[in-house]
Amino acid sequence: MRSERVDEMLLVRYLLGELTEEEQVRVEDRAFESRDYLGALDAAEADLIDAYVRGELTHEQRRAFEPRFLVSPQRRSKVEFAKALAQVSDEAKAAKIPAMQPRQGWSALLALFRGWSPALQFAAGMAALLCVAGGIWVMSQNAAMRAQMAAVDSQQQQLRLQIEQERKRADTLAAQIPKQQPSASPPAPSVPSVALLVLSPGLSRGDNRVERLVVSPAMQIAHIDVQLEARDYYPSFKAELRTRGGQEILTRSSLTRHRAGAAYAISLDVPATALTAGEYELALKGIAAGGPAEDIGFYYFRVQKQ
Amino acid sequence: MAVDPVADAGRTKWSLTQAAFDGLLDSLGPDRDAAASRYLEIRRNLVRLFEWRGCATPDDYADETLNRCARKIGEGDEIRDLATYSIGVARMLLREMSRDRSREARPLDEAPEPRAPAVDVAAGSVVHLECLRRCLAELSPENRTLILNYYQGEKGEKIKNRKSLTAMFGIPANTLRMRALRVRERLQLCAANCIERPKGNRV
Repeated sequence: MRSERVDEMLLVRYLLGELTEEEQVRVEDRAFESRDYLGALDAAEADLIDAYVRGELTHEQRRAFEPRFLVSPQRRSKVEFAKALAQVSDEAKAAKIPAMQPRQGWSALLALFRGWSPALQFAAGMAALLCVAGGIWVMSQNAAMRAQMAAVDSQQQQLRLQIEQERKRADTLAAQIPKQQPSASPPAPSVPSVALLVLSPGLSRGDNRVERLVVSPAMQIAHIDVQLEARDYYPSFKAELRTRGGQEILTRSSLTRHRAGAAYAISLDVPATALTAGEYELALKGIAAGGPAEDIGFYYFRVQKQ
Repeated sequence: MAVDPVADAGRTKWSLTQAAFDGLLDSLGPDRDAAASRYLEIRRNLVRLFEWRGCATPDDYADETLNRCARKIGEGDEIRDLATYSIGVARMLLREMSRDRSREARPLDEAPEPRAPAVDVAAGSVVHLECLRRCLAELSPENRTLILNYYQGEKGEKIKNRKSLTAMFGIPANTLRMRALRVRERLQLCAANCIERPKGNRV
């Protein structure tokens, strides 16, 4: 028990940058060697961030914490998350955490209702009536929105059909190429074979349409073209590719847009080996001069291995 | 050969080529899929390391570390254990980073006060809260109870809560801690994905 306590303090001191280089190296090496130790370090980090957002750190600890935890986007998001978690868990406490309470069913609710004064009962009845009316209004709005979505879906269906036809035409042309080569000619020099994926903005670029990228064993590079909308004008762009589970695959910065027909697009190449079969999310951000990265859209696609 | 002779002269920045990247993957084994997973694991660990050391752009530094490894391999160096080697390269980069910082160092008395005061718990942004509540609702009741109680309250109260939870779930304190951490990580990932999505699509 004693050694655990000492170790815990060591981890906190490590996270606050209070250890010597040798001590830091020892902590890091142990964390990379042992999953348990890595877990303890992650847990110590979570507790430290919680202590910060709850104002439980000393002045010196806060001074050490801020330059290390408020500089990188990853750690800032951990701090933001801890703030929200602290607030939500305190709200749950104030509400005596319904999840912790045994479920008592309608009888308990009715008993509670009967215990109220007539005025309170009347107010509750009116509130219930308002809820029902609100529900009906929301449902009617929902129906109207669904009709709009259906119309846009139909347009998108047509566009997809066109893309599919173009793909088929490209496949046919590609199949004809070897036939046109003389049979006795020497083999062509090996060039990286490329899988092509075009991601276009939909109704909302966060919508659930999923494009497909077929990667054969011979493919070396996946070339991804992300089409932009006219309003997407930034000096540079950043693309973050991750699995739908959130596992980061790669990040490309300093991307610039180029002409693609009548519109603009950005392009990036991804080593095919970095893509396993599954669903992916590509987050595109625009970077204004001297400004922070702004979200432009999220594009989804599925990788199929042949 | 992946190495640009101009870069060798130190005049321009060396950049990763497909051949150099292939060489890096080859050093991780003959099975390409296994090598790709190992590569991603090594990169994740590097990002972690730079984050622990308080680096502002851990991803960029992890990529720079791997670029340096790829360059070494391209130059003909044999690297037997890329994971360990890359950590060594990362620490060298950290020393460079620290040298750059010390050039700009000022006496402590002149250093500014912490940029942000202790954060007000009630200051969680609306979007964060909205997303966190959505993600909490997706958890099993057991995990929701665990996460809300494990991180609830201040020092003494928190310790008492955690003791009650070990009794409630019938598991040792360390196991409970790891379980709470895993639920927290899952919740954080869910909330981050929700925040990144445009508002209308946060479902």
